[in-house]
Amino acid sequence: MSIPHRKIFSYILLGVALVGVIFVITSTVHAQRMKAEGISLSELYQPDPNLAAQALDSLNANSSGGGEDLLPPDPFQDQCLHCHILGEETRLWTPFIRWATFGTIALVFVFAVYQNASVWGNRKPWVPIVTRVSEWLDARYQTQEFLSTFLKKPVPIWATRWWYCLGGITAFLFVVQGITGVLLAFYYIPTPEEAYASIQFIESQVLFGASIRAIHHWSANGMVIMCFAHLLRVFIMGAFKPPRELNWSSGVLLLLFTLAFGLTGYLLPWDQRAYWASTVATEIAGAFPHIGELILVMLRVGWNVTGETLSRFYAMHILVLPVMIIAVMGLHFIMVRRQGVTQPL
Amino acid sequence: MTESNEKQEKTIPFYPDHFMSEFRVTIAIAVILVIIGAVALIYPVGLGEPADELKTPEHIKPEWYFLGLYQLLKYIPKTAGVLLPILGVILVLIWPFIDKKPDTKRQMRIRLIGSILFTIILVALTIWGEVS
Repeated sequence: MSIPHRKIFSYILLGVALVGVIFVITSTVHAQRMKAEGISLSELYQPDPNLAAQALDSLNANSSGGGEDLLPPDPFQDQCLHCHILGEETRLWTPFIRWATFGTIALVFVFAVYQNASVWGNRKPWVPIVTRVSEWLDARYQTQEFLSTFLKKPVPIWATRWWYCLGGITAFLFVVQGITGVLLAFYYIPTPEEAYASIQFIESQVLFGASIRAIHHWSANGMVIMCFAHLLRVFIMGAFKPPRELNWSSGVLLLLFTLAFGLTGYLLPWDQRAYWASTVATEIAGAFPHIGELILVMLRVGWNVTGETLSRFYAMHILVLPVMIIAVMGLHFIMVRRQGVTQPL
Repeated sequence: MTESNEKQEKTIPFYPDHFMSEFRVTIAIAVILVIIGAVALIYPVGLGEPADELKTPEHIKPEWYFLGLYQLLKYIPKTAGVLLPILGVILVLIWPFIDKKPDTKRQMRIRLIGSILFTIILVALTIWGEVS
């Protein structure tokens, strides 16, 4: 006999029985009240042949615009008209069957309570759900060992000074950019005809659209500043020295990606500022000797900033750059975790 | 006191000690962002005139983080103005492969002064570009 099955079954019965018990109690209370009010059940529950006809009449009057309001319901009128109008309540069988049905269910309920309560003595000690989930996972994937080495890694006390959190703030702002960027992309339309209007729509119609855009805007600027501050901190403290060369190089790449995010994102509102700022910025790239024009045409998709430029910048901004920056960020973090924070002089 | 004990004393576990202090910083930033969002409900970021390729505005400016570079380009030859930042970026990228010697206090001071000077020049160029 497997206990879990029996348990589940008894829980279902328990639920059904509970409903039954509540029903029995309420109907009993109702009957008691009727008795106290001196209302005869047989009198009250007499089927009224005119009732249906009256209801039909008043419905007709309402639908044809007669203006005659329906009367408020009688306060002592029974709620369960379906049975009582038909006159079933006058017989003995209805209450008898009701008591038999719900009484049986109540007996089963009592039995189930007893069954469940009887195992209380030799129950397993209670374990929080989080612990149970982590144990379940650990039994399958041995997560505990990895997690404890990850979480319990000792952090030197000097690495808790405030200037060590600049890189972490940059990473957090990147996450914010990702979330707000996705929210903006739900409404933004990257065509020259629609881009401006869709941003106006975000600012004026979308719920908290202006907030989301402002957070995306300002945390983009914050990310550039924090990135630069982190670079300066690492440079001044000499944290780039061997064996951390690749940390530094990947970090510089991340700064370049951040600037590329800024460059491609700036064009998207498609207003005068955005348009001409992008024109100027791509012109700087065009001054590169020999391959300048090629770069310019590659960036603008033609000689001028057009709708194709907008499409390309949008694709770079939401598809290419995120993938690249997340990959390099992952490497950056893994390398930092492996080597730890540099000890200052 | 043994060596390992000494080492133990100078570190804290990442979780929960260090994690909680990082978490507090994150919450502080999040609060600032929420305030920005709340302010934006009254004063949104806004938009300028719609883009018009036939109408060039009087003062064209790139984003503020390219403004210093843009200002520099106005006063030095174009080719040099493009090559300099690219060479600069490449130099910065491979910097740890050039500067390999163990660090000293003196080097650190030189780097500090250099960084401050670079930042001041960059900020000055940016402000100049913004007001010009």
